[in-house]
Amino acid sequence: MTLLIGATTIGLILALLALGVYLSFRIFNFPDITADGSITLGAAVTATLLVHHVSPALATLAGFGAGVLAGMATGLLHTKFKINSLLSGILVMTALYSVNLHVMGKSNVPLLNETTLASQAEGLGMKWLHLGVDAELHVFGWTVGLRDAATLLAMLLLVAGLGLLLYLFFRTNLGTAMRATGDNPQMIRALGVSVDFIIILGLALSNGLIALAGSLLAQYQGFADVQMGIGMVVWGLASVIIGEALVGSSRIGLLITGAVIGSVLFRLLVAIALRWGLNPNDLKLITAAFVFVALVAPSLLRKLKPAPQPKPSEA
Amino acid sequence: MLAIANVTKTFNPGTPNEVRALRNVSLVLENGSFLIIIGTNGSGKSTLLNAVAGSFYADSGSLTLAGQTITRWPEHRRAKLIGRVFQNPFSGTAPSMSIAENLAMAAHRGRPRGFGWALNQRLKSELRDRIRSLNMGLEDRIDNAIGTLSGGQRQALTLLMASWLKPELLLLDEHTAALDPKSADQVIRLTHEIIQRDKLTTLMVTHSMQQAVHLGDRIVMMHRGQVLHDLQGAERARVRPEDLLKRFDDVRRREQLDPTVAEMLQRNYI
Ligand SMILES: Nc1ncnc2c1ncn2[C@@H]1O[C@H](COP(=O)(O)OP(=O)(O)O)[C@@H](O)[C@H]1O
Ligand SMILES: [Mg+2]
Repeated sequence: MTLLIGATTIGLILALLALGVYLSFRIFNFPDITADGSITLGAAVTATLLVHHVSPALATLAGFGAGVLAGMATGLLHTKFKINSLLSGILVMTALYSVNLHVMGKSNVPLLNETTLASQAEGLGMKWLHLGVDAELHVFGWTVGLRDAATLLAMLLLVAGLGLLLYLFFRTNLGTAMRATGDNPQMIRALGVSVDFIIILGLALSNGLIALAGSLLAQYQGFADVQMGIGMVVWGLASVIIGEALVGSSRIGLLITGAVIGSVLFRLLVAIALRWGLNPNDLKLITAAFVFVALVAPSLLRKLKPAPQPKPSEA
Repeated sequence: MLAIANVTKTFNPGTPNEVRALRNVSLVLENGSFLIIIGTNGSGKSTLLNAVAGSFYADSGSLTLAGQTITRWPEHRRAKLIGRVFQNPFSGTAPSMSIAENLAMAAHRGRPRGFGWALNQRLKSELRDRIRSLNMGLEDRIDNAIGTLSGGQRQALTLLMASWLKPELLLLDEHTAALDPKSADQVIRLTHEIIQRDKLTTLMVTHSMQQAVHLGDRIVMMHRGQVLHDLQGAERARVRPEDLLKRFDDVRRREQLDPTVAEMLQRNYI
């Protein structure tokens, strides 16, 4: 049970990564690789501040802010210096590796006795219920550690809140313009929107969310590590793809919900696979293979279907 | 008023693919006038409209619109003054977004976009009314993705979007060329109605001599990046489609004795 709760909690935290990836890859068609660096950046900034006894809320916010800056950097490289989108992300991601090492001062920052958002959530839970540290809850006949339940609940509320905010944002004038930028930049430019500005803003928001995921992950697992971001973009993408398959719709609200559920589901699958004896070293290979299959399967299926009557070519 | 003064544009300068698409073009368009541009393929019609809209900057020359010098304004800033319909029906709308959302974005053309709701009941009922006036039965489908509509429907909506906030200048670049004849007629009728009603200053490119003669109050014929003919007033009033076709023939005949070829012949054989 603890295993499943842990996987669900990590899935919820990484749902913010999935939302960030959804924003860049799907809303903008911008394959933003910055994510691998910005998720670590969020973790590094928050962990370092926590070690220096900054309040967890502030440290988390700073992690988010650092991600915003990283996204802006990628956006500026792409829009102002006309560097290809993939390369812009790779450049910033590579640079962030050094930045992250500088921020942390070493390759790993443990959070042993620091007050974190996770420990604060536990504290609140215990205060409300007048329970001790090792108290257990009995839910539907299962025994659940209180700290685990409190953290899970806190993450659920946070992710639901942020997902809702993102959904509402997409219905504002600015948010609609952002969606249109990915859909048809020529059109939105002709309606007076600076596509460059929107791309920078969108990447800032996307990487802010991703860094926030890193910040929360560091606090949950109790350390920040310079390697923790490797392959994260692909994990986020896998969650988004699972989500899309689940909701099977193009409605924004459903896609956002789908990305969150996809992330949790993906984590649960990973936890179960590892439990069954999957070699952890193979995890990234399998994830990459999964995304590959998900990307090519739709067109492959279309080819396998009986060919439609040849239509006269359109002018 | 739009003033185009000595505008020049060369694509790929200094390479074998160099194209002098606009050569010192000057045109003044009074407020409320409706100018039709015709010309052979590649004569620079779209390039002229793109230079005015700001898709790129002119190499030299200046552009003034509604009393402001817009020569160095980026495209999105010019959009505050300019409404635009493209030749490709896919270019003017965001396909995966709803009809209502597309129009709501047009209702904010050139205005700052903040955190206000893109759609509210008042705007929705207003846009339903305006869509109803198209007589296409689209008013009951405003929450459908615009990408599910036909080219003609999309072009009609794009026209509605370009003119939602009365623009200082309306740019139409062969906006019916990709449509079937029936839809083209419908869109042309709508174009006429909107321009008349709002007295819009308009630059319209067309390849149809019928449209050139029946719409607008002035005809400009372009050739090789220059204005070859400029028909106004009485001369414009008299002109018939055949007259325009004849001018095209003249151009074609002259083309066969292209100046550079003539020069070469002279150099080599005389
Ligand atoms: N973006 C571009 N890059 C290079 N050449 C271009 C570009 N746009 C137009 N041209 C060239 O400029 C000339 C004028 O094109 P255009 O204005 O599109 O003609 P039309 O009168 O048919 O609209 C053509 O020779 C065309 O090939
Ligand atoms: Mg053209």
